Amino acid sequence: MIPAAQSAVADPKARPKAKTRTPSWRRRLGFTRIGRWYVGFTIGVGLAAVNTGNNLLFLVLGLLLSSIIVSGILAESSIKGVEVQRRLPDMAIAGTPALVGFAVKNRKARSPSFSLEVRERGGDVSGNTFLVLLPPSATEEATYRFTPTRRGLHRLEQIEIVTRAPFGLFEKSKPMDASSELIVFPQKVAPPDLHSDRLMRQGDEGTSRIGVGQEVHSLRDHRPGEDVRAIHWRTSARIGRLIGIDREQERRRRICVVLDQRGLSGDSLERAVEDAAALFERELDQGGDVGLAISGETLPAASGPGHRAAGLTLLALLEVREGMSAPIPDPYASSLYVSGRR
Amino acid sequence: MIDVLRLRRLSLASAQQWASSLAAACAFCAVAAGGELALPIAIAFPLALGFSVAFGDRVAGKYQWAWTAALVLAVVIELVLVVLGREDPVLAAAQFSVLLCMHRLWHRRNERDEYLLLLLSLLMVCAGAALSAELLFGVSFVAYAICATWALALTHLRFEVERRSEAPRRNVLAPSLLARLAALAVLGLAGTTLLFVGFPRMAFGGLRRHPAASRAVAGLSDQITLSGHGTIADDPRVVLRVQAAKDEDGMKLVGMHWRARSFDVWTGNGWRSRSDLGRRRVLSEAPPMRRDPDWRAKRADVQSFEVEAVAGFSDGVILTPEGWPVSAFFPHGFGGRAPRVFRTPSGDFLYTPLQASDVRYVVNVDRTMANHAELRGRGRDYPPEVAVDLVVPPNLDPRVQALSSRLTARKDPVDAAASVETWLSNALAYSRDLSGESQDPIGNFLFRTKKGHCELFSSAMVILLRAAGIPARNVTGYYGGTETDSGYVAIRAGDAHSWVEVYFPGAGFVPFDPTPSAGRGARTEGLWPRAVLAWDSLAQRWSRFVIDYDLVAQSRVLSSVGKGLSRIGDRLRGKQGAATAFQWALPAGIAAVLLAAGAFYAARRKRRAGTHGRTLSGDEARARSLWLAARHRLERSHVAVAPSAGVREAVERIALHVPRARGPVEKIAEAVLAARWGGRPLERREARALLESLDAALR
Repeated sequence: MIPAAQSAVADPKARPKAKTRTPSWRRRLGFTRIGRWYVGFTIGVGLAAVNTGNNLLFLVLGLLLSSIIVSGILAESSIKGVEVQRRLPDMAIAGTPALVGFAVKNRKARSPSFSLEVRERGGDVSGNTFLVLLPPSATEEATYRFTPTRRGLHRLEQIEIVTRAPFGLFEKSKPMDASSELIVFPQKVAPPDLHSDRLMRQGDEGTSRIGVGQEVHSLRDHRPGEDVRAIHWRTSARIGRLIGIDREQERRRRICVVLDQRGLSGDSLERAVEDAAALFERELDQGGDVGLAISGETLPAASGPGHRAAGLTLLALLEVREGMSAPIPDPYASSLYVSGRR
Repeated sequence: MIDVLRLRRLSLASAQQWASSLAAACAFCAVAAGGELALPIAIAFPLALGFSVAFGDRVAGKYQWAWTAALVLAVVIELVLVVLGREDPVLAAAQFSVLLCMHRLWHRRNERDEYLLLLLSLLMVCAGAALSAELLFGVSFVAYAICATWALALTHLRFEVERRSEAPRRNVLAPSLLARLAALAVLGLAGTTLLFVGFPRMAFGGLRRHPAASRAVAGLSDQITLSGHGTIADDPRVVLRVQAAKDEDGMKLVGMHWRARSFDVWTGNGWRSRSDLGRRRVLSEAPPMRRDPDWRAKRADVQSFEVEAVAGFSDGVILTPEGWPVSAFFPHGFGGRAPRVFRTPSGDFLYTPLQASDVRYVVNVDRTMANHAELRGRGRDYPPEVAVDLVVPPNLDPRVQALSSRLTARKDPVDAAASVETWLSNALAYSRDLSGESQDPIGNFLFRTKKGHCELFSSAMVILLRAAGIPARNVTGYYGGTETDSGYVAIRAGDAHSWVEVYFPGAGFVPFDPTPSAGRGARTEGLWPRAVLAWDSLAQRWSRFVIDYDLVAQSRVLSSVGKGLSRIGDRLRGKQGAATAFQWALPAGIAAVLLAAGAFYAARRKRRAGTHGRTLSGDEARARSLWLAARHRLERSHVAVAPSAGVREAVERIALHVPRARGPVEKIAEAVLAARWGGRPLERREARALLESLDAALR
């Protein structure tokens, strides 16, 4: 399983200073379009009532004002005691929709919450989801679809719980600190055609040593307790005793994807990163040990899900800075040079 | 019992549309309560509402041109009527709002249309508040408040759900939601009541609507006709609400005569009021048939009565109870205008201008009634003003004359009057059946049918006394009444009554009632009269506590609330002779509240600890604090760890991106997990050392 792609930023300069925590009592209140009309109508009725002294107009005014007050009280009751935890996807790729989940919990023992919108506030990601009813002491899962438009680090700042219940006149929201980061991998593209002068591919080859492999190194007597799959049955039948096989140790091919991002910018840089990522993944899928060499950083060749995530993360966070050194390819690996031209 | 299964099949959109339609219907009832809407509009709206519920989906958005033309035409017509002075601007605006609402009912396609419909229904309610003060408006208003609350909440929910592409996973119309909407409506009504009572009453005047002039009235005609066919209906409608201004011991308002008009001139078939004495006299002037000039000095038992005459039953007449009316005034005025009270020469109390709404006034009456002994011996020296009350019908039946002579011969006028009264009451029977057309209704009544209604009894007594040379006249008004739970006596239309006033020199006109007592007053039994009375009782409360709630009443309410609180405080302090046990009540009460609050807080804190009722041990708590402190340090160093991340997961992430912190974080994680879940002790010193190593790694 590919591990979660959340990460911490190594460079403190890339991260703004930590903000003060938002207190839990903090609320924001705004009018909806209907609410503005409603308040205007209430003011008009109030003026008419005061002008005429008509008690029935005071009665209507009382109804309008009590609706506003009740609306405020119930809106607060809806968002109070509601907690949200964000669940980021394991992997996000630019241009590909990803699902971001919210686990919304109502801590109130008796009161449900109605008409809750949970949305991102601040940060690089926008999205929202809606819950009609959240029963008391219940947790509901809700998701929204997010399609990143660029690779790299996406910051998520706050989660805001919003309600316009019960009448849709006012919008009351409760912002909650929920800082998080999501690293978006480069967009998937078809790997570029490799020119023959760039390719120095080595397939799996034998090493003249006994080990794990497909080729037969030598035959010998079968040892008691050995796996029966190591018996060479044809020779054993011919000779009349059990004969075992020693296999030849194979060496996995070793590839290094090299990308010199110095001098690249804009679309050409992005194309280069995408090509590098495509090659990286392709070689991993084909069973090799793959490394990365980019300006300023190197990832030794390896394989496995963790190594895949590490490599894609490196490419996702790749940037061009002044004074970067040239990439250093792995001398023991075949190098694939990415230029960014298609 | 609400069928929950049927509710589940009801969709949110259907429920919202039904609620909005009901709200519009209640708003229409509120605006129509006053009865001023034009008949075509009053008929068209219910039809439009019904059709919109049945066919609204099919016609929504269609025939817009026809609707636009109709609305433009309506605007033009209303403007013309207003400019010509034929229609009140408020009524015109109300009718146009009804038309707009009808249009919106037929074109409900989106969220904007639904909210517009609710806004228009609110406008109709405001129009109804300006047009009518009836109890029906109050009932409609309460129903509207409930329906509109539901409609507004369901409209919000419906369009919030529809705005999202995903359908909700659960049935939105759960019983819990409906119950909460009902509670919401009750809350809204309670808030409305509180705000209505507490909102400062101030009126800057200006745009005040003056009620329309009085329409044709019923009940107090200026003439009596004795012939006719059929039966007099026992009308249970309440026409008067009376109560004593002060709570007088022993004064019973039930069974009093309430005088309205007097009729002096015989028409041959009935009676009419006299018109020979010229202009009416203002209240301050004494009428010619005045009482003994010394009556004020002798005795004055002046009592005050608060009377509320229902609209349509007063006709500008102030009804007065038995006694001599001294004065009358209107405490609430007539919409800012001062009413004018005057008394006719025949003693009728009248007022101007006429009102289309209920009228409230206070009448002061000298209840001193001369008894028969005091009236005896006053002679027969009558002033010329009462000559008309001595006129005998020209073709009087000789039998009537003979009967008169027999009953009154050689008797003092008061004894003669009493004799005639007693004979009529005993010898003849009461009947509500009308006598039919007759040339001589009195003769027919006295000698043929020998039964009749109160007007025949009173007319017969007047004729018999006039035939004996004693001035008498017919008087109409009401008799009887029913006590209500609201503290007033309700007098119905069926209590209409007729009796006699006989003139005695020095005493004026004194009432006599020859109708048998069993025939007086309306029938009070039966479901319908009781329902009418209950409705009237509600209407009276509505009028008193809502319509007439002014700054004075408000200050009274707030003052009584303040006094009540003060009394409670005094009792708790043991003042004013209150029991000393109350001295302990306040500190005991405060202590109980504090204890309860403390227990509640402790229980809440324990619940929020999230340990399913188990408190953490010292090592577990220390492990938890250690992990939180480590996360805080990492965040300060710009290493974000999501709150949802577990310990192991967090370690992996940190190691991936901040390798130098891997070692210390791994040690912390191991210590935390071992202490939190493995039962291993975690010393404070150890925790501190682990944090210091993390600090060193992050530096």
